[in-house]
Amino acid sequence: MINPMISFDIASWPPGLMMILAAFAVPWIPHVARQIWMLAAIALSAWGLSSGAGVHAVWQVMGLELVLYRADNLTFPFALIFHIAAALNVIYSWHDRKWSEHMASLSYAGAAIAAVHAGDLITLFIWWEATAITSVFLILAAGTDRAQRAAMRYLLFQVLSGVLLLAGAAVIASHSSEISFGIMALDGPDALGVWLVFIAFGIKAAFPFLNGWLQDAYPEATATGTVALSAFTTKLAIYALARGFAGTDMLIWIGAAMTALPVFFAVIENDLRRVLAFSLNNQLGFMVVAVGIGSELALNGAVAHAFVHILYKALLFMSMGAVLHQVGTIKASALGGLYRQMPFTMVCCIIGAMSISAFPLFSGFVAKSLTMSALGDTGIVWVYLVLLFASAGVLEHSGIKIPYFAFFAHPSGHQTGEAPIGMRVAMGIAALLCVGIGVFPAPLYAILPYAVVYHPYDVSHVTGQLQLLIFAMLAFIFLIRMKWYPPEIPSVVLNSDWFYRWLAPRVGRPLLGAVMGVWAVFVRMLVWYRDMGWAVLDRVMHAPISGPTVPGRAVMVQALLLLLLLVLGYLLLG
Amino acid sequence: MDEQKTALQRLGSRFTAILLAIAAVLVVLEFIFHRHGEVAAEDFPLFPALFGFLAFLFIVQVGKWLRVMIMRDEDYYDD
Repeated sequence: MINPMISFDIASWPPGLMMILAAFAVPWIPHVARQIWMLAAIALSAWGLSSGAGVHAVWQVMGLELVLYRADNLTFPFALIFHIAAALNVIYSWHDRKWSEHMASLSYAGAAIAAVHAGDLITLFIWWEATAITSVFLILAAGTDRAQRAAMRYLLFQVLSGVLLLAGAAVIASHSSEISFGIMALDGPDALGVWLVFIAFGIKAAFPFLNGWLQDAYPEATATGTVALSAFTTKLAIYALARGFAGTDMLIWIGAAMTALPVFFAVIENDLRRVLAFSLNNQLGFMVVAVGIGSELALNGAVAHAFVHILYKALLFMSMGAVLHQVGTIKASALGGLYRQMPFTMVCCIIGAMSISAFPLFSGFVAKSLTMSALGDTGIVWVYLVLLFASAGVLEHSGIKIPYFAFFAHPSGHQTGEAPIGMRVAMGIAALLCVGIGVFPAPLYAILPYAVVYHPYDVSHVTGQLQLLIFAMLAFIFLIRMKWYPPEIPSVVLNSDWFYRWLAPRVGRPLLGAVMGVWAVFVRMLVWYRDMGWAVLDRVMHAPISGPTVPGRAVMVQALLLLLLLVLGYLLLG
Repeated sequence: MDEQKTALQRLGSRFTAILLAIAAVLVVLEFIFHRHGEVAAEDFPLFPALFGFLAFLFIVQVGKWLRVMIMRDEDYYDD
């Protein structure tokens, strides 16, 4: 039925677009009203999801068919959790009276949501870049020189990812004139284009050695900005991998490396938000492995993991943001003993920590079990053991290190209180969701891409997981008691960003200097030959060749031309 | 400060006691119920417990070595 009063149907707008448009009004709306305006925009955008599965908006332009709004079983869970995360961000940053970060945060979330609904590679590229350009302001908002430099490095990598995506799309389109975004084959006829797209996704998904930007930039953003950053970019990449590369074997190995390697960096990192950034990288690894397996159970695992991960990772970043906001530092070496001053934050942090560690009755457990079971089905035992090892690693850095060094360890002497009310409300909601999903996983399972009957709460799963976690915690206590657990010290941990932050300038600058030096010598030689040439010519023109008559320049040129004609004549006729 | 320190130590002792109790229950449960893992190795009695304990020690130990290799002063990148 067509309602004549409404000239266009908002529900057929790409979700997220509404949020981007609303973001433009953010600077002109006074504080508090602005927060309500943003929540309303998010709600309106979420209402657009009610259109259900199908293609709802197509734009014919320049002979291309751009699918602006495609929804199906895979987009819905991502769209839902992105909306929830966006709303949590608004609540968490309620105390912030400046408009700039709110505008960036709302449009960033909107761009990520719009990207999830892109049905073709060009539309995906547009929103892919939009997430880069909007999110960089969350890092710049920190206002320090450090943050500014980190933001520029971040932007460089994000834009590079976008450029690779566009190049890949162009190559694919030139071969098959087909730009729709679906499953792609790395060894198919469009291998080059597909590889470019794969690497573009790999940068945003923080594959090993492409991950430097994540741990480099996220912890430099503001207390509220990091929370927003943690939700969208990387999970958009997981969505894109699940859409384009489900069942690509290589992802199993890549993902396994992603789960294991950051564990060792996180254990020695002193900046607790950077510890969480390494932990984020490790969590992405679980999702990438699941995408690589590609079975229905595994893809459900990847999506469920992304869903609950956004909540507990946001919760952990929120609790550390609250500590940063109250104390002014987030270095483990300068923190400790805050459990008395910030008990609510401490409880929320521990709920997040138990969720990410996948304790039974917490959200991580019901999601990670899917992936582990799917992995067990494949029979790739050593990857299974790597992921089991990484699970102990998660417990080490996110389950124990984060709450322990912030709230317990040794008294640090900071005098402070609980964070602003908005921060606490957002943490409370996220914590409730973490426990709620853990206790009642059915609603989460109902929105997963495939209808799979799965029961995480059987004796084997629960006791097995508890054994792993409890005995790992005993190992921690053992190390602390024996005073063998290394103390946190102010430091920086070298990661893959070392290659472009330290090595590239130090090798690159001398190398560039040498190349430029050789080039300068070469140019000087050319100049010398040219000058010599002219000097010789001048000498010939003006110096008498024979006798008293001096042949003029014109005569000489004419003689040369005639000679040339003569030679040409012989060549042509002969 | 000292008072806080003893409070923290008391908290730690209680926490340790609770953990040990849970661990004891888990060990007992292991021999009452038949627990089956996703892969064959996991079926070995107390495999997850041993794996978790050793993995944790391994991670911290590798961390100690890594401190020498990839840990630098805070102003390492500032030029």
